[in-house]
Amino acid sequence: MAQLASPPPETQSSPVWRTALGFLFDVRVLGVLGQIGFIILVIFGARAIGGNFAENASKLGESQFICRDGTFSYRCAYDFMSSEAGFDISDTALDYTNTDPYWYAFYLGILNTLKVAVLGVILTSIVGTTAGIARLSENWLISKIALWYVELMRNTPLLIQLFFIYFGVILAAPNLNEAIQPLGLPIFLSQRGLNFPSPQFTSSAAIWLAFLVLGIIQFQVTWIILGRREERTGQANNKVQTGLILFLIIAGFGWVVAGAVSETQGVLVSKASRIRDLDSLEKIMLQRTGLNNLGDVDTLSEEEIAAAAFQVCVLTDSPSETNLAKQLRRMGIPFKMHRSGRPDQATADYAEGTCEAFAASKSVLAAERSTLENLSSHLIIPIKENPIVWSIPTLEGLNMVGGSSFRPEFAALLLTLILFYGGTLAEIVRAGIQSVSKGQSEAARALGLTEGQRLQLVVMPQALRVIIPPGIGVFLSLAKDTSVGIAIGFPDMYSVSFTTMNQSGRTLQLFVLMMLVYALISLVFSVLLNWYNERIKLVER
Amino acid sequence: MTMEGPTQSFVDELIICENVHKWFGEFEALRGVNLRVKPGEVIVIIGPSGSGKSTFIRCINRLEEHQEGRIIVDGIELSHDLRNIQEIRREVGMVFQQFNLFPHLTVLDNITLAPINVRKWTRDHAEEIAMTWLTRVGIPEQANKYPGQLSGGQQQRVAIARTLTMQPKILLFDEPTSALDPEMISEVLDVMRDLARAGYTILAVTHEMGFAREVADRVIFFDAGQVVESSKPEEFFTNPKEERTQLFLNQILHH
Repeated sequence: MAQLASPPPETQSSPVWRTALGFLFDVRVLGVLGQIGFIILVIFGARAIGGNFAENASKLGESQFICRDGTFSYRCAYDFMSSEAGFDISDTALDYTNTDPYWYAFYLGILNTLKVAVLGVILTSIVGTTAGIARLSENWLISKIALWYVELMRNTPLLIQLFFIYFGVILAAPNLNEAIQPLGLPIFLSQRGLNFPSPQFTSSAAIWLAFLVLGIIQFQVTWIILGRREERTGQANNKVQTGLILFLIIAGFGWVVAGAVSETQGVLVSKASRIRDLDSLEKIMLQRTGLNNLGDVDTLSEEEIAAAAFQVCVLTDSPSETNLAKQLRRMGIPFKMHRSGRPDQATADYAEGTCEAFAASKSVLAAERSTLENLSSHLIIPIKENPIVWSIPTLEGLNMVGGSSFRPEFAALLLTLILFYGGTLAEIVRAGIQSVSKGQSEAARALGLTEGQRLQLVVMPQALRVIIPPGIGVFLSLAKDTSVGIAIGFPDMYSVSFTTMNQSGRTLQLFVLMMLVYALISLVFSVLLNWYNERIKLVER
Repeated sequence: MTMEGPTQSFVDELIICENVHKWFGEFEALRGVNLRVKPGEVIVIIGPSGSGKSTFIRCINRLEEHQEGRIIVDGIELSHDLRNIQEIRREVGMVFQQFNLFPHLTVLDNITLAPINVRKWTRDHAEEIAMTWLTRVGIPEQANKYPGQLSGGQQQRVAIARTLTMQPKILLFDEPTSALDPEMISEVLDVMRDLARAGYTILAVTHEMGFAREVADRVIFFDAGQVVESSKPEEFFTNPKEERTQLFLNQILHH
């Protein structure tokens, strides 16, 4: 080895400037110079943008910045947001009329954007993961279907897919009265969108909720007690199963108790109607229809049923309506609901004789009864109710009443984003799974793990650390691309802002506001996902 | 280091292979392999690379599928029946050349994953057994580290403990020391030697001739997908019958 340590050959003498400026080749000096250069660039960039902004703002003129007292100030740039919006929004999460201010319309736009973004992210992760795993399936058909899905989604533009799904799929669906009902379930797919049942919490829901809390406490206690016994005896006892079964028993018991105890729902009827409870109503209806059994109501003609129907006034979409409808339907009593938005309106209808009864919560009924002329001739019949009642969509005339719905624009936008980004995510999931070495799967199989356990316990946890960073990018793109909804008239934040801009001319203000909100949404998303990413990182040496 | 013995078996021959054939596309990797292994037998398989020795032991727990012939492990025939495959995999442990520890789990979780999920042991029971095996392979203090924090030799010993905690009847070693630095080979071989003496049924593919000479009941020479020679170690190394065996032994012993 000693022979190798001969001195290096003489280097050629460098020119003078190279020796003098030699420090410039020091990596530390280069690093500092690079930093300084970059800061200068940033300052120039910011100045250029800021100057441009100020220039354009002043070009727009003072009219853009009118304060309420009539003076001009940049501080009043957003004062116009308090004035009346004047336009309608087709799909809102909260009540809205066109006399509400701009800021409220903007707020509803944000809610719509968030609704699509959050639902989209959740459903995309399901679709993307499924398609990604299907891509690697050993089943030829499954993997080929997944491949075609991915290629189709990746190779066509988002906007064209959106138009196709909106005009070609959703709006091509049948009319409401011929709506598609998958498997006969109370779900209606039509060109008006998707109508589906929605749960309504009645006043006894609180009692049931208390039982649920009790059940959860029970689960914890069972877990601890059985866990201790397990440690003592060293024998497995089904902690989870025991706890779950006890939980279900408590929840079921609570359901019955809550239903029996609560009688906050009622029906207002006149004494003259001879209705004293639901049983007497049944007798009256038997007389009225001339049947021996209300189960035979189908044998009557439609006109006869309509003539005999029990007429009830209700408040639109109230739990009382759903609850009473359910009970009447179960007893086979034909009925007709007269829906109105306000209690006094319903009471007026009842007083006029439009309906024989008024169903609402007991407190509302008591208040309304006192407004009637001779209140002693009216009485309130209590009605039992379950903690949760399902409001089921039913066709009434040309509209659906009850339940919840996705409007066609919302459904089309959500579906498009899920399918498009599901395809992108599928490839990321596939790459993640394939990044886990074959040896990992072999070790899992050799240990006797089933294929499901192998995927769940060994492959996916490792694949996730490859999937998450680009996956964050996909979810952020999805959240921002909710703005393509404007193309089919979905009133998201961008769409509402666009209308506001056209009406008020405040382009600059609204773009700044929108960019801030989008940035805020993106930041929250990425903080959450990065936190998760940090948690699942591998420990290296 | 004393080892607890393996689970008792009630069959005369733990592994029966009859005329096993395996193709990779056009290439025939196994050309009619016959082998019978009695409980407690230690068999070392040697042979040139590409001779099919790894493929063969991977067929025994169905990491590779054989296309012809029969393989019967502990009285259960390997077929396309998933339940049979699962049953056999529970009874056959395998140690790999590349360790294949799960990098996202601690050493202890690596070991207890299969006992908890496959054997349905409680976590406490699984951890207790895991710790006795970690103690026996000499690294109980590493239980809560991650595989990435251990040396190669330590990782392979964890892999052995992971396999043994499942209480298999048969141990398959697929070149367990080939990926190790020279100074770590002996720590793994020590563990294997003790397992052999404790009465485990072992099939090991290895190039460690010293190990073969010392603990093997039989040495099997594989070439071109066939068993060329099978004899006791002394006879095998001093007086090989087949010409191909002599050639191979000359190459590896006098390099």
